[in-house]
Amino acid sequence: MKRPILIFLKIYQKFFTLIGYGSCRYYPTCSEYAKWQFEENSFFKALYHSTKRILTCNQLFDGGIDYPIVKKNLNCNRVCACNKDKKLFFVKFYLVPHDRLLAQSFLQGSDRSEYLSQKKGLGKKSNNTYYLIKSFKKENID
Amino acid sequence: MSSQARMVLALVLSFVFFIAYEYFMVPQKSPYTAQTKEINQTNSSTNVAAPVHTSAATAAPQDASVAATQQAPVVVKAHEVITVVNGKKFRAEIDTLGRIAKYEVLIERFKDKDGNYPNVVSDKYALKPLEIRFSDAALNTEAFDVAYKADSAALSVIEGNEVLTLTQKLSTTTVTKKITFHNDGSYKLNVSLTQDIPYFISPGFRPDQKADMYAFKGALIRKAEGNIEKISDGDAVGNEVFHGANIASANDRYYTTSFYDFDNSMSVFISKDVEENPLVFIKGSTNLTTNGYIGAKEFDTMKAIDPRLTDVIEYGFFTFLAKPVFLLLKYIHSIVGNWGWAIIIITLLIRLVLYPLTFKGMVSMNKLKALSPKIKELQKQHKGDPQKMNAKMMELYKKHGANPMGGCLPMIMQIPVFFSIYRVLLNAVELKHAPWTGWIHDLAVMDPYYVLPVLMGASMFWQQRITPTNFTDPMQEKIMKFLPLIFTFFFVTFPAGLTLYWFINNLFSVAQQYYVNSIFAKQDKVKAEVS
Repeated sequence: MKRPILIFLKIYQKFFTLIGYGSCRYYPTCSEYAKWQFEENSFFKALYHSTKRILTCNQLFDGGIDYPIVKKNLNCNRVCACNKDKKLFFVKFYLVPHDRLLAQSFLQGSDRSEYLSQKKGLGKKSNNTYYLIKSFKKENID
Repeated sequence: MSSQARMVLALVLSFVFFIAYEYFMVPQKSPYTAQTKEINQTNSSTNVAAPVHTSAATAAPQDASVAATQQAPVVVKAHEVITVVNGKKFRAEIDTLGRIAKYEVLIERFKDKDGNYPNVVSDKYALKPLEIRFSDAALNTEAFDVAYKADSAALSVIEGNEVLTLTQKLSTTTVTKKITFHNDGSYKLNVSLTQDIPYFISPGFRPDQKADMYAFKGALIRKAEGNIEKISDGDAVGNEVFHGANIASANDRYYTTSFYDFDNSMSVFISKDVEENPLVFIKGSTNLTTNGYIGAKEFDTMKAIDPRLTDVIEYGFFTFLAKPVFLLLKYIHSIVGNWGWAIIIITLLIRLVLYPLTFKGMVSMNKLKALSPKIKELQKQHKGDPQKMNAKMMELYKKHGANPMGGCLPMIMQIPVFFSIYRVLLNAVELKHAPWTGWIHDLAVMDPYYVLPVLMGASMFWQQRITPTNFTDPMQEKIMKFLPLIFTFFFVTFPAGLTLYWFINNLFSVAQQYYVNSIFAKQDKVKAEVS
């Protein structure tokens, strides 16, 4: 069920978005937001949040920066397991703890290593909810 | 490949696509000889078997008998006309099999290029309105051999209604069809048999006046609760049964032939022909009474017969929105008397509803003009990283309390409105041959002189020129520049009414932008004077 929606979003972004290009009041754009939601959240949650986002994307609402919020149970063993054999891997999404201060410091341009170190310290407090931020550069982490 | 080369390639490809589409998908008018050949073919291969009963009680013997008829198809001969019925708005011919063999709608507006009135009963397909098929194979063969007798050879329906009685004496039973013709295209039908023999009666094959791939053609059944079931030509699986139906109809784009009964529900049986087109039947009884409507799917005519009958008019996926759009359009038309002006007024109304939203957007857009040096700086700073630049831009907007973007919702809302108008233009018979002004004689087909698409493209270009935008991606900026050109080609084959809608929509945007600009110019002037 998620796949056809993601394919549709891809086609939409390639072709149809041109008609109203540059009209979204948010960052990331509604289509991008929906893509992230459907990639990382459960189907119904993603559907709910994406619909809500599109409905509020008009002049009656402020718009602005709005990242998807996901609940992830980050098991350190699982995360670390990927990197056991010290292979390179691509960063798909950054998870920023759903913590106002921290998120703000991130958006104000603190670099990734700083953010990662901060994340370590605050990870337990943040109740397993994270902002989902896609990495657009193909970065390797070793 | 450079982006320009890609752009040109895209344009050429889309143009080739439209030419190919026109050539292959839009049915060409076949020469007369080819058409007659086709008729012979369909006739000789037609089987006139009754639909198969699927109810348990009668299943076994029926199946066997139908199989028998399918092995020995009855060859359909040309049948003589025994009665001509003349109404104010129609002329019908009844043939020796007690069927409506021809039904012309005598409305000036519907005449074709050669000045002929449209014939709603298809010549090409064998199944005619009021055709009876018996489940018993031998009786069925006999019924297609024995001629009906009519109580009059010519009937004039001047005021009110006239009754025609047709009788057919078969070896085991006598069939009596009493048809009460009304001037609005509806008729009342009573079929009585002297013996209780299972049979089916059809409202006929769908009309074949305007059967193309643009609009739905095939069978439409309305169930008692109001649900609509549709079976398109080529999609019939055969032997489908719908109990508790109150409309059984066969339609092309503009015309219908239907049975309807809103008091007692009907059992509708759908069988298929060799091309898997649906053949609509209702189950008969020794004394069957039902109603029929045959003619154009005109909203007012059908509503006057029964409002529920208008459910036969359908606009595809967006019916829920297209129907209100049509009703509003019809209301405006009743005041201004021209469908073209009605489209322009409906565009204005949609604009007025959205005005508070767009105005707010334009105000914040103007506010941002003062910020343009800052925006330029940001663009320079994050040249290679559009994502980061967009994020920074959003921050800037937030800081100054002005977000110039229109939003996704107003944009997405345009899509169903656009499609609804498109479907109404395609499907509503009221808009067939509807003129606007000057060179536009038919809003439902493309502009023959390409004037509207060019105007549309020009207005779009104009709108882009005066709307302040900030592009983060140079490639996208280039595409945007070409968009009016792409849209011009895109709209060439669209109905003129739709191009008119989009053109007027662009014009209103331009006017609105100028209006807002003038307000700001005035305000700036006042401020300058004060200081």
